[in-house]
Amino acid sequence: MSRKKLCEYYWAPFKSDCEELLGRFQQTESVRYEGFSAIWREMDFSGVFFGTQSDHEKRYFTRLIFTIAYRYILPPYSFQIRVGGLYMIYGLYNTQLIWPKEKIRIALKDWYDVQKLIADAKSCQHLDVVYIFKRLLSSKAFCFTAMPQKLTFEGRERVQHNVNEEFRDHKNRVTELASIEMLEEIANMHGHYERLKKSSVPPSSGVTLLNLTYLVQKCAFEYQQWQDKIAAEKEKNSKKETTQKSESSSRAVMLAAIKSKSYGHVSKGTKSRRHRQVEMVTPGSGTDQALFSQKRRPPSLRTRTWQNFGKPSEPEQTQEWLLSVMEEDKNALKRKDIRRFKWRNNWL
Amino acid sequence: MGMTPLAAIIISLQAKLTVKTTLPTNLSAKQEHAGGWGRCTVQLSSLGGDSVPKKLVTIEEEEEHCSRLRANVVSRLVMADSSALICEENQHENVPVYEFMDVNSKEFHIGAFRDLWLDVLNPKVYSYSDTAPEIEDVEFIEEMGIESKTLEELKSICSVDSLRSGHEGTDNVPSDLHLSTLKLRKRRQDYKETLTRYTVDRHEVYANEMEMTSVGKKPDDLRDLIPEGEIILTFNIMYPILFRRFKFVRAYQTLHVLGSQKLSDLRDAICCVSDLQVFGEFSNTPDMVPQFISKDHYKSAFFFFNGTFFNDTRFPECQDISMTTQEWTRTRDFPEFKTAKMEDTSFYDLKMKVGFPYLYTHQGDCEHVVILTDVRFVHQNDCLDIKLYPLITHKHRVVTRKCSVCHLYISRWITTSDALAPTDPCLFCDQCFRMFHYDDKGNKLGDFLAYAYVDPGTFN
Repeated sequence: MSRKKLCEYYWAPFKSDCEELLGRFQQTESVRYEGFSAIWREMDFSGVFFGTQSDHEKRYFTRLIFTIAYRYILPPYSFQIRVGGLYMIYGLYNTQLIWPKEKIRIALKDWYDVQKLIADAKSCQHLDVVYIFKRLLSSKAFCFTAMPQKLTFEGRERVQHNVNEEFRDHKNRVTELASIEMLEEIANMHGHYERLKKSSVPPSSGVTLLNLTYLVQKCAFEYQQWQDKIAAEKEKNSKKETTQKSESSSRAVMLAAIKSKSYGHVSKGTKSRRHRQVEMVTPGSGTDQALFSQKRRPPSLRTRTWQNFGKPSEPEQTQEWLLSVMEEDKNALKRKDIRRFKWRNNWL
Repeated sequence: MGMTPLAAIIISLQAKLTVKTTLPTNLSAKQEHAGGWGRCTVQLSSLGGDSVPKKLVTIEEEEEHCSRLRANVVSRLVMADSSALICEENQHENVPVYEFMDVNSKEFHIGAFRDLWLDVLNPKVYSYSDTAPEIEDVEFIEEMGIESKTLEELKSICSVDSLRSGHEGTDNVPSDLHLSTLKLRKRRQDYKETLTRYTVDRHEVYANEMEMTSVGKKPDDLRDLIPEGEIILTFNIMYPILFRRFKFVRAYQTLHVLGSQKLSDLRDAICCVSDLQVFGEFSNTPDMVPQFISKDHYKSAFFFFNGTFFNDTRFPECQDISMTTQEWTRTRDFPEFKTAKMEDTSFYDLKMKVGFPYLYTHQGDCEHVVILTDVRFVHQNDCLDIKLYPLITHKHRVVTRKCSVCHLYISRWITTSDALAPTDPCLFCDQCFRMFHYDDKGNKLGDFLAYAYVDPGTFN
């Protein structure tokens, strides 16, 4: 198995790490780099590079994580998440362990989005965002390419690029509709319409003309107020809930501990399956070995013969002899189970 | 010479999959815009409640006024945007996007792509030299309108030290595991420790070796420096699928070429073992093995990119070997294919899809699948010597076949229908071959056919 394919197994864990980092950043509700770096240090995120011995495995891994982290700078994520993604890339670029440094590939179609992000940050005077981007540019961290990854037409597992719904940018459609430019246009049109009407048609009574601009503004304002009210209520509720949650969570932890201990009690396997022994799970250990070998081998020719032509209900009478081993040595006849490393362990 | 299956597959794939993607023209964009405006007015009226004005004269006249107004406003808006739309359309055609997600991109013109990038980038960003930090600071202060004190503060907050981890040793996974990546790695590390023997895949150990030898090389002569803003294309060229062994492994070489180089430069850089073959049966005259190789004899070759055959016409011996294929396609249901010259086309003139398999044929029937994996700007850390391009960065290593007799020397002869040899065909090195098949006086012993053999591993 090539190293590259092995490194692909790190996709899911790294993605969950990124989401945790960005989730915590989202909770700080600011876009300041100080907050981000505090979370980074707390999570010790630069440690993702630790532990690999060989140089080119480090390189493959670094390329992989840049591909994953890069997606967070682009839409449809919200502004805060995109800024967090930019900070994350800055952090990963500067803490990588290989030389020459692996560059961040940025495609032409994404460059326009990134420029827009920086322009927004500039207009809001977010100095640290702009400064960090400039630092990345001046340290030549970017590689300007056609596509975000190298495409080799190899059969690979298609990765699902799922966008975390909490990070998604929610467009405020009402404010977009009732934006200042739109209101100006409406007012202009309205005025134009009035003048045309007066000039072409004699004015008749009984027509009440409504001021559309005023109405639109009022609606938008009411909507905004309603939104704020809902948000405030939610906060109050959540504050109440956190106190309740802490009690329930400790119970949940206890229950989980009890359950896991019960799985540790193991039943003896039947004699025909002596070579496949079930092992104890010790809770709390970070490294669990494979429990059952998931792949079941098809029944051997011997068992099939016995089942088809012999008496399947009775156990086989034949005894296996191995002349080079002592009779008391029971382990000699057992088939050694080659335990393969399970990359995707669903128990974790 | 008939159509080989591989060529047929590739050509039919390209013919059927080249979908011309035109983006919405100006007209439909206008309509969309107008439609949007219309929708907007409807929304407004529904928001207002009873805002529909009462009937003045007739409904038709009212509607006529409204539509005239709408058209007026729309035309004003569209005028402003139409110039922007035209620019965007040209941009869109050459901005590479995915045709199939994560598989390959749509077709785009490489020269135009480069121009688009150069339009949006500040030249300092892709230059080889770094600007002095003081100048950068001054520019930043001017751009954002802040004081130098603020900048100092910013620098201290955003410095790289803020990212440092507490741990010093990077070789082992730290003990306090919080990140799931580290948990996975620790699991694997523990598993590896339980193994008594750990075999290392040799291909992987030396995978990057070739690339690393050429990284960061600067030329001695400054005239050989690659100009800034040059595009580097990366091609993966598969070995021809004549070996049954290569069913499970994709054997390829990776070549980097510059955008300004011609296709013929790429052709010359491809190393294929079939170029070195010597033809002829030499059992009767083992000493008269001719010195010419196939590369000198059969010089024709062609590339097939997106419906165009690029032929090599540099030498008078070169024939247009794509004619056979073209004649065959004319009898079948295929679109018309064009021909062009390899040595006149540079990569900037090509329209290519990234990640899509193309074809290179030489020696008449030795076909290679060629994939363009990457198109990017040249970077400060790349190899900057123009004389080294096209640059080979990866070559699949093939095991060399040794003589069947001594297992020491590389085989040079292959014999078939040999009564003396254990297998058919059988490989021999030069000395063993002569000792085995000829007596002291040089007479042929036994009955056999002997051919000169070139080992596929000669390029290791």
